[in-house]
Amino acid sequence: MDVILRAAFVFAFLFVLMRVIGRRELSSLEPFDLIMLIVLGDLVQQGVTQSDYSLTGVILGIGTIAVLQVGVSYVNFRFPRLRPLLEGEPMVVVQDGKPIERNMRRERLTIEDLTEQARLQNIGSLDEVAWGVMETSGQISFVKKS
Amino acid sequence: MADIPDRIVLKRHRDLEGRKNRIWYRRGLLMLLVVFLCLGLANVFGQRPHGTTVDAGAATLELYAPTHLRGGLLYEARFTITARQDVKNAMLQLSPGWNEGQQLNTVEPSPLGEASRNGDLLLTLGHIPAGQKYRLFLQFQVNPTNVGRRNADVTLYDGGTKLVHIHRRLTFYP
Repeated sequence: MDVILRAAFVFAFLFVLMRVIGRRELSSLEPFDLIMLIVLGDLVQQGVTQSDYSLTGVILGIGTIAVLQVGVSYVNFRFPRLRPLLEGEPMVVVQDGKPIERNMRRERLTIEDLTEQARLQNIGSLDEVAWGVMETSGQISFVKKS
Repeated sequence: MADIPDRIVLKRHRDLEGRKNRIWYRRGLLMLLVVFLCLGLANVFGQRPHGTTVDAGAATLELYAPTHLRGGLLYEARFTITARQDVKNAMLQLSPGWNEGQQLNTVEPSPLGEASRNGDLLLTLGHIPAGQKYRLFLQFQVNPTNVGRRNADVTLYDGGTKLVHIHRRLTFYP
């Protein structure tokens, strides 16, 4: 029982944490972020299973997280009004080639981040962009001017 | 200019209507996390040791051990007895909170005897001459499932005579 409760608590904590730290941090996966992910995984494992080395314990821990993940996904699908809370909402960051600084500041997004994302999508200048939208995943999608 | 992308509502997704305050919820939760970390730094969740000394006429008993612990932690409890007068047969009585849900890994130096007195653990230490110190080290590990608060009292006896008593409560966090 203990493993299940610990796994559920860790799931809830990570869920809230991911919503709190913002999308900008989630979208990028620099080498440092990758290392932090591994460290995070190790810390989470210790907190959930502690000194339980049994196969049953592993299955209980992973199973709890999997079931909760499916549960959140179902709630997200079934109740659209909860989507902004569970998943967040897209945010317009560029309109007609002009960055919307107020929205960028909210997500700690710099103009360099924005142009870098544009270049990654073969867009040389923001002048070519009609709409730039920061998606719920933290990635930025661009719609070119026609 | 290209049309507004599907499902994008400018009032909500550009002007952030109805979600302007949401950032404050996020910041509030982040502050809660910072407060939690500050409490950790302030030793609220252990495991910094804390010393308690009780002085009686015949002897002084000092207990140096953490009062707040978490599952899985290894820690040490140090008991120092300073005899002012001859203590002919020193005995240390530990309440069950010291052993409940914890592994007692080491007791150094080994006591002359171990027994149970009315449910408490009784360690016989033997003779401590006047003016001398006796240090007893106990090394523990907290069981991961041990959560809550427990009494961890210590009483020093000289044979059947009670000399010093220290009241302590241990708090175990999950």
